[in-house]
Formats: sequence, structure tokens, C-alpha cells
Amino acid sequence: MTQASEIGDIQVADTLDTSGLLCPLPVYQAALVLKKLEPGEVLELICTDPGSLEDIPALARQRGDALLAVEDGNGIQKFWIEKGGDA
Amino acid sequence: MTQTTTHTELPTDPHLRRYGHVRDLLPGPDNPTPLVRLNRVTPPGLDLFLKLEWLNPFGSVKDRTAAFLLAGLIERGELAESQLVEASSGNTGIALAALAALAGVEVTVTIPDGIPEEKKTLMRMLGAEVWETPDDLCPVDHPKDGAIALARSLAGSETSTRYVMADQYENQDNVRAHYETTGPEIWRQTGGQLDHFLAGLGTGGTITGVGRYLKEQNPAIQVIGIEPQPGHRLPGLKSFQEAKQPGILDWRVVDQVIRVDDDPAYDVTQRLFREEGLIVGPSTGAVVHASHQLGPGGIAVAISPDSGLNYMSYFAERLGDEGHPTV
Repeated sequence: MTQASEIGDIQVADTLDTSGLLCPLPVYQAALVLKKLEPGEVLELICTDPGSLEDIPALARQRGDALLAVEDGNGIQKFWIEKGGDA
Repeated sequence: MTQTTTHTELPTDPHLRRYGHVRDLLPGPDNPTPLVRLNRVTPPGLDLFLKLEWLNPFGSVKDRTAAFLLAGLIERGELAESQLVEASSGNTGIALAALAALAGVEVTVTIPDGIPEEKKTLMRMLGAEVWETPDDLCPVDHPKDGAIALARSLAGSETSTRYVMADQYENQDNVRAHYETTGPEIWRQTGGQLDHFLAGLGTGGTITGVGRYLKEQNPAIQVIGIEPQPGHRLPGLKSFQEAKQPGILDWRVVDQVIRVDDDPAYDVTQRLFREEGLIVGPSTGAVVHASHQLGPGGIAVAISPDSGLNYMSYFAERLGDEGHPTV
């Protein structure tokens, strides 16, 4: 997984802010955005429900996407997800 | 000289089947759905009647549930400046969409994936927004209940639109719908002469409401729930080996649970089409198949929740090229 210092180097294709939304709504919205991205493009996802720390990695595994990095601090979770080739 | 005709409004008259509003078609003890005896696809020695819930105005047993859920929300003022959200395998969503449209309320329905296109299109035609949700969308906390979890999260989240969930799985208005309408209808239509009542297990509203009412009239009536196998394709039914048990399901009124596989349920559905002329959905086939496990003798009433018309794409898949030779 990418180190915090390298997160700034990730080229983001789209950002989705799901602040205030409870799981699984962020998962659902992230899945909709990822569906529209091209393989290899990266979604930056912002969540505030701590459940997302388990649900978003599970979503990426399930879809065959790569979870490049995760940040968790001050009640905000950030994820960088690269769309997989077949997803 | 010109003759003038005075128009008087014709009142609703259920005996003439004349209604002033589609809502007047909703069932109740004075406007019951039909009970029809099976004459060929019948377990030996059992007098089995189907209660044809698909003759309700919006096409299923869920018309009752939706009417009570919506009326409860409106009476309690819970829908003020809000949109309605509900998790459904289709029938509740269809009935809620129709009734909410009549009431000027916007509806979002979250559904599991794999629901027939016919049902999705019906909801969209009625103006509902339909969010299709894989059951395992949220695999950590909500295995097999993704649509319910999504509806609850929408109602609980801070969004610019306020959403209120009807929640047929936890809302006692669902039970009340069947305790106040379906149960009394069956009791009256059979003259109290019934030994068994059968219904599929889904939200638990039908079996709890009807079962409670019937057992209050005669505790000897056997209430039987029909449960599908895990991974089934019988929309409306739930396997509690994979799905969470609904809060409104009262096991105290259920005497027996019969588990059914998909294949015999679909086979019996086809027999109901061909031998009884009944265009029913697959959950009716499941219930009728289960009734063959009852002992001989007695009168049974089973709920036929919906019409086969909403599952034509499923049936076409199973039929393949049967009865449709192509060159």
C-alpha cells in the first residue's frame, strides 16, 4: 500500500465525498462511481462512518479493485481505489 | 327547447364492482380477495384454497402492507417534507410507489439484485426511483440484507433530502394490515372451517398478523410458514439461514416451518398455470408444494402473494424452447 508521503503523487480521476452518510450508502455510491471509471483510474473517497474502514476494503476486494492507500484521522477516512481491469 | 341533463356522481358500490377511486379497491373484510379451491394440483385428501392476492389493485398481497404503512406514516406526521424509502423485493415497492404517487409522496425503493425486470419497470413507471443493491454490498455487517441496510442508511444519514423508511420488517403496521384485513377475511370466507393456514416467510407480516387473528378465533388452527433454501430464487421469501430475522415475525403463532427447494416450487407453479388456470408467481408454487407435506384431511388456506405476470422473464428462462419451436 502507498505510504502517506506518496499519496500526493496519486493521480485522482474522481473524488466522492460521502461525509455524513452511514454505511452502506458510501459503499453503494462508491460502487456507482467506480462503475463509470476506466480501468486504472483512481477514485478518492472521503467517508465519516468508521464502518467504512472495513466495508470499503471489502468492496475493493469483491470488485477486484486495488486499494492504493487509506488515511484515518479526526473522524475522517480517506481511500484511494484504483479500478481493476475486469471490474 | 333545450333539455338539460343533471349529472349526479355515482357512488362507490362494491356489489356492482363500481368504485370512485382506485384506493376503494383495496381489500378488507367487506371487499375480500377471492378464495379459490385447487381441484387438480391438490395434496391427497386436503381441501386447499388459494387466496388470490394478485387480484389486489396493485397486484400483490403487499397492497395491504403498503396501505397500512403509508397511512401510519401520514397519520403520525412522519412524512412531512420527506421522501419515502423502502427496501423491497418488488411487491411492496410497487404498491408503495402507486399509493405514494396518489398521495404526492416521492419514493425510493432499494431492491436486491436479480429482481425481475418486470417489477423494476413497474416501479419506475409509477415514478419510483429504484436502487438495485447486491445482497452482499456491505459484507461486513449486512450479509444478504444489502437492500435493507441501504434503505436504513439512507434514512439515517445526513442528506440534503430527508428520507423516512417505512420499514416493513420492523413496523407493526405491517402486522396490523393482516390482523385487521387478511385474517378476518379468511375467517369469514371459510365460516371458520379451516384447519391449516400456510404463508411464505418474508417480512413475517402476513403469517404473524393472520396467524395471530386465526389463533385468537380457534387456537387449534395450524399456522405453517414456508421458508426457501439459502441462495434461492423465490422473490418475496427469505431464508433465515442467510438473512436476518425480521423484528415483527412472531414465532409464537407459527406451528411449523416447511423448507422448499426452488425446482419443485417452479414445477408446481407451472402445474398451477396448466392444470388450474392460475397465473401465479413462484412463491405460490412454493407454498402449494409445501402443502403436500401436510397429512390428509382438513381444509387449508394458502396465500397466493402475486401474479406470474411479473416473472415472465424467469419463466421464459426455465422454459427454454419448450412450446416455441424455432427454425
